[in-house]
Amino acid sequence: MSKEYRGLIYLAPVMLLIGLFFIYPAISIIRMSFFETRYGIEFTFAGLGNYFQIFRDGVVGQSAINSLIWTGLGLFLQLSIPLGTAILLDQKFYGNTFARSAMLIPWITPSVIVAILGRWMLEPSLGIFNEVLVNLGLISESINFLGNSSIALPTLIGMQTWQFIPFGTLLILSALQTIPRNLYDSMKVDGAGSFQLFRYLIFPRIGPMIGFMGFLAFVWNFNVFDKIWLTTQGGPGNATTTLPLLVYKRAFKTFRLGQSSALASIMVVALVAFGVFYFKFLWQPVERD
Amino acid sequence: MRANQLVKRTLLYIAVAIFMIVCLAPFVWVLVGSFHSSSEILTGNVSLIPDNPTIANYIPLFASELGIKNFYRYILNSFIVGLGTALLSSIISSLGAYGLSRFDFPGKDVLARFMLFIYVFPTVLVAVPVHEMMARMHMVDSLIGIILIHTALAAPFATWLLRSFFDSIPKVIEESASVDGASRLQSMFYIVLPLAAPGVVTAGVYALVSSWGEYLFVSILVSSDANKTLPLGIGMYTADQYIEWGQLLGGTVLTFLPLFLLFMPLSKYFIKGFMEGAIK
Repeated sequence: MSKEYRGLIYLAPVMLLIGLFFIYPAISIIRMSFFETRYGIEFTFAGLGNYFQIFRDGVVGQSAINSLIWTGLGLFLQLSIPLGTAILLDQKFYGNTFARSAMLIPWITPSVIVAILGRWMLEPSLGIFNEVLVNLGLISESINFLGNSSIALPTLIGMQTWQFIPFGTLLILSALQTIPRNLYDSMKVDGAGSFQLFRYLIFPRIGPMIGFMGFLAFVWNFNVFDKIWLTTQGGPGNATTTLPLLVYKRAFKTFRLGQSSALASIMVVALVAFGVFYFKFLWQPVERD
Repeated sequence: MRANQLVKRTLLYIAVAIFMIVCLAPFVWVLVGSFHSSSEILTGNVSLIPDNPTIANYIPLFASELGIKNFYRYILNSFIVGLGTALLSSIISSLGAYGLSRFDFPGKDVLARFMLFIYVFPTVLVAVPVHEMMARMHMVDSLIGIILIHTALAAPFATWLLRSFFDSIPKVIEESASVDGASRLQSMFYIVLPLAAPGVVTAGVYALVSSWGEYLFVSILVSSDANKTLPLGIGMYTADQYIEWGQLLGGTVLTFLPLFLLFMPLSKYFIKGFMEGAIK
């Protein structure tokens, strides 16, 4: 064995944890998807039965659409806003270090706290959001942000984006900082405006990072369970039920373990395939000097 | 030209101020709200400076016959689980990061990115098998079991984060130690770890932060009230039809404040490690 391979011994504990808590369960969920469960314990082989069932299920369809909106709209916001905030924090200004640290707070806040903050501030009768909007004359009567089936999902996307911004901003910022300062100056001397700076200097440099962030944001958004569960429990109706919520509800609320596993299996396979595809074909390292 | 500069600077500061308000205002608002009386909260009469500041919302949290039954217990459990996770995860991720940083085997960059992928991987998808496995190991409804799973959730990202700290320590230092007869593990513990101490502490605090807020696995693995952590404790509270907002806001403040106080002093190391890791 080559000496360099000894590095793997140091990685063994963390790989063991990943194997035990991610890889083994992912394989086991695929196995479970071929079995029918009754009362949560008895297993009978069901072949592809669970898969046929979930494809005929209207709730699955709606959840898939919700997940699509959730990830799609979320991705758009989560790619564009951190780009702006990162460029902002890349400027020199008094209090920059503080701003960078303070910005991290939403990210490290537990989901349950985000859910409570959201529920309180968006409450129709006692929340600050409605109060401000009414006082500004923007709306005439309170909006039930989380109780209205057409507004609840966009509202949750807003909450999720708020929490994602620090992570995205740091990623973009790390790419921005690889651009040597004197390149900005020399381009400015040549008469380049803000737009030209962005188009010809910033964007080509941070392009790969935006792609990487998009990939992480996509997978991460897809992951979101507790924030939605603790805020709306997937309601009103099924308006905010995304696929992870349905996996959870089927497994732990209605005890249709087979269906839950079939749904989870499809998602696991799709995500892993997407991950492999991304790193194999799309991933590019950020250029460095 | 000067006037133009001034306008630009002003706009910059306005933009930064807006960004900070968006990030921080909700926490300030909850903090302020928690010092209002229940009736003021329920009528929406919360103002930035409370007319009659009161700690009435905090008292029932610790007087078990009045409010959330085991609140002090939840805090204690959160600390036990969080510190346990931080400790275990620091050890495991230090070893892993050392392996990624000091050895040059093929595929190590893929492995590092894989750690980041695990960080964003949907945990809800594997909840059922993990629950089953924990049941077989007799670790359901136990704090040890929770520490183990929280370590599994935190360690991959912590490994990824720590790697750049180790990378920034010159290999030469270790080489001279090995000339003096130190083994690889000795040189890691006595030379690299002390130099990377800010990184190790940061990774540990990250693990504590992630454990502190973890909800899903605690909710499916813990059944007795005495073993609940804060998120589950106050999460249960929001499920009631009638929400006692005053106490809930007090509980919310007590959940996020310790976290911020622990994390903020280390945030600059966290940012450094994160940004260096991101461009590798």
